[in-house]
Amino acid sequence: MAQTQTLALVEEIESLVSDKLQVVSYKWLSRNYMISSNEAKRLLQEFVEKHDGGLEVVYALSGWLKGSHPSYHIRLVTGPKLAEAQQEFDGNCSIQVYSVQASIPKDPAVLWNAEFIQAEELFKQPWSVDNCLRDNRFCGISSSFVQRNVDGMPVVAATPLTKASVGIGQTKMNVLQPQKNIAHDTIPRADLKSEDVVKDVKSESNGTGSTGVHDQVNKPSEDKEKVVPAGKKKAQSDKSGSSTGGSLASFWGRASAKPKPSSLPVESSNAVSNHSATEDAQASAREADGSGDDDNQDVTVRRSSNRKRRVVFDFSDEDEDVVSLSSPELPKKQSSQDSKQKDNKSSEKATLNSDTKRENKPMAKEEKSSDEKANQPFQEELSVINKCTNNGKSSSEKPQSCAPDISVNKDSTKNAAPGSPKRRKVMKTRIDERGREVTEVVWEGEETEAKKADKVATKKSENNVSTNSVNSSSGPATKKTPAVVNTTGKGSKKTVNKDPKQGNILSFFKRV
Amino acid sequence: MGMDSEKNSLCRLQCSYASLDEVFEIGKETYRGQQYSQIYFARLHLMRTLLYSLVSQWKPQTPVCTVLGLEQGKECVIVGTLYKHMKLKPCILDEYSKERSAVPLVRPHNFMHDDDYLVLEDESGRVKLGGDLISPSVFVTGIVVALHGKETGAGDFSVLEVLEAGLPPQIEFPLKSREDKYIVLVSGLNVGSSDSNPLQLQLFIDHITGHLGDEKEQSIASQIVHVVIAGNSIGIPRGLVNGQNLASKDLSRIAEPIKELDILLNQIAAGLPLDIMPGPNDPANFSLPQQPLHRCLFPGSAAYNTFRSCTNPHSFEIDNIRFLGTSGQNVDDLEKYSDAKDKLEFMERTLRWRHIAPTAPNTLGCYPYTDSDPFFIESCPHVYFVGNQNKYESRVIKAGSEGQFVRLISVPKFSESGVAVVVNLRDLECHALSFGTQFSS
Repeated sequence: MAQTQTLALVEEIESLVSDKLQVVSYKWLSRNYMISSNEAKRLLQEFVEKHDGGLEVVYALSGWLKGSHPSYHIRLVTGPKLAEAQQEFDGNCSIQVYSVQASIPKDPAVLWNAEFIQAEELFKQPWSVDNCLRDNRFCGISSSFVQRNVDGMPVVAATPLTKASVGIGQTKMNVLQPQKNIAHDTIPRADLKSEDVVKDVKSESNGTGSTGVHDQVNKPSEDKEKVVPAGKKKAQSDKSGSSTGGSLASFWGRASAKPKPSSLPVESSNAVSNHSATEDAQASAREADGSGDDDNQDVTVRRSSNRKRRVVFDFSDEDEDVVSLSSPELPKKQSSQDSKQKDNKSSEKATLNSDTKRENKPMAKEEKSSDEKANQPFQEELSVINKCTNNGKSSSEKPQSCAPDISVNKDSTKNAAPGSPKRRKVMKTRIDERGREVTEVVWEGEETEAKKADKVATKKSENNVSTNSVNSSSGPATKKTPAVVNTTGKGSKKTVNKDPKQGNILSFFKRV
Repeated sequence: MGMDSEKNSLCRLQCSYASLDEVFEIGKETYRGQQYSQIYFARLHLMRTLLYSLVSQWKPQTPVCTVLGLEQGKECVIVGTLYKHMKLKPCILDEYSKERSAVPLVRPHNFMHDDDYLVLEDESGRVKLGGDLISPSVFVTGIVVALHGKETGAGDFSVLEVLEAGLPPQIEFPLKSREDKYIVLVSGLNVGSSDSNPLQLQLFIDHITGHLGDEKEQSIASQIVHVVIAGNSIGIPRGLVNGQNLASKDLSRIAEPIKELDILLNQIAAGLPLDIMPGPNDPANFSLPQQPLHRCLFPGSAAYNTFRSCTNPHSFEIDNIRFLGTSGQNVDDLEKYSDAKDKLEFMERTLRWRHIAPTAPNTLGCYPYTDSDPFFIESCPHVYFVGNQNKYESRVIKAGSEGQFVRLISVPKFSESGVAVVVNLRDLECHALSFGTQFSS
């Protein structure tokens, strides 16, 4: 059986070398077929013995050199020069097959390329995957004392926050699956889309973790990105527009991710249940605090598992009027409220949160949210406006399905949540305990958002939309998508789609 | 080394490691606009106390006096900092001089001239040194010495004898016979630069992690317990870092070498403990002591408990054997301003002067410490290495009042020579580990 496997591999090597003209080094072989290095070398040796001609072989000679100074030398030589090179060694030198290839390249470094590409792919795998690069399992020496710390990166699934929202849902799923498969595949090539995702994930691992909610909903990334459009901020809330979906979302999400433990009622309860534990401890807490309405909660549950809803109910003390006013409009989900968080933080957050539908239609969501916002009844806006500087822009952030939370908060008071509790799907970006930026889509009450907005206000430079404190909190744009963030910052609801383009054009000029 | 299944038949040996780098970390220092006089003062103070105690045994009869207290014709001993006046040393003020006399700058890599002279300086004053015994080509600015001589009529101090601080005391070398354990020193990887050979570096990594070679070789490799990379690991194209704003495609060109290095270090760190020191071309601060390369540069490798980012100079102890090393700036600077037969002699001199980088802060960038001089060598190392040199050289010196012995190693640039240095911890013997990948005849 081992022999059949060997034979099969030998044939594969032959096809790789002759047909695809690839350089097959023992290291590449071992990583590709999950065999140890010594085994791979033996295999290559057999292969060389079987195929005598037509292929170039590179041998690795190692031994002590002749000479006065003791020097251990390792050298790669081609077949023809083997005998000559052996003379240089003092005594016996060990000869091993290093690689086989169709022809010897002029630049020896070409031999290294295939191996390095493989190493790079292994390197880019999600953080918690323990692949053969990371644990060095195929070498001949075991080092039991080596430990790799993966605590900091809890998330396995790669949620490409910054990628265009459209493809994200799918990629996420892809990422999840391949990871499971890797262990089992005989040829565990890590060439997945996840690579890109992985990168994102790495930087936002916490985010992904936090977006456990997303996992539940199967829309991890999308939500985040969609959150962006939720921004209710006066003008910009919608800018989070679909185009910049992911990045925008993350941008806002960050802001929203830093919810201050506001008194604002956040209807996190529902959301909390939805979210993974890691995700927003704060947000969860906040939401829990905030959740006052059963209705809302129920609604939220219905609505989106991922998003955190903001429950504005706690604002009763402050925003009684608003509450009353907005209550009928609850179903609207004023994302604007969310954004309202006290500051004039960019509405990004607002846009992020509420409006975007949880469904994975990132683009659609964003636009929808903006639309929603636009459609929001003025009453809400009025009430909201009264309370906060945020424009009642609308519920752009809030997905229709969301329970109408009128997050009036914003404006001057941090928690000045407007009366109607609005849940907004907000893209919150926060810095987790490890200092990483985590973007997640959460349902937030205005208070929360407001608080976040406050926090983030300082950070966000581009908060055009001040409405959503949350959005503003997402100000510290995710590192990953600085460009996107910028665009999101500018996003206004209707012009969301445009902004990214404008941004791109400008950057093009800058480069020139 | 046990024999297990065919997969992992060998176990890597381990060693005890203790880092002594706290003195080189600048965390607690604050910059309040101070200038460099304070570090010179601290150095003088530190070494003068030491020299006074030595002088009493060296010349018990001769009085010790300050520079201002010199009397003509009277033999005495003075202690102070040497200053070497060099004609060819570039000075920023030359740019502002009214008359632009042609400065004969013949050799930009070495500024020595026959007209250089030495001056001894302490808090009270300075005096020019004369006499044949003290040769300006050997000394550099910044060394604290004791001189025995007398003042001449011309106002010079004619030197009769020189007393340097000498080698510091050394902890005892653990002599019990142990198994062979090796530590590998390598420097100048220059990953990402056009003249580095990635295949050679990959061979190096494969060898020390145990992929390459047959059983015998892998068993040798399993005895390697530690790797130290002494600077210049990254070769970012120089043309890019010139202060201009970078286009985004250039940004990735700058980041690529670091990512590549991270992947390579990941492979090493997964197998054995690794120390990486910053060098003159690395993304670290310029002035000595260079602070450790930031962990964020190595997201993949920094997750391992075997990965350690260290300062330059780097001092550590393995199995009670003390190592001290730099990435080469101190010796390279000495080479510009003084003369010696080889790099190892420069290194020996720094040990005798008991100071790793005497030319700092004069010609070598240095942090303006206020009350200490971290480059003062308190305890003599057993192995003293310097990275990024032109060739591999090594020697054992036995000197000092207690018969201290030190293994001096000059580690060559790996990207040029393909040579790393392996030191056996049992007896401090070292040999070269070289890699060749030239195919064409």
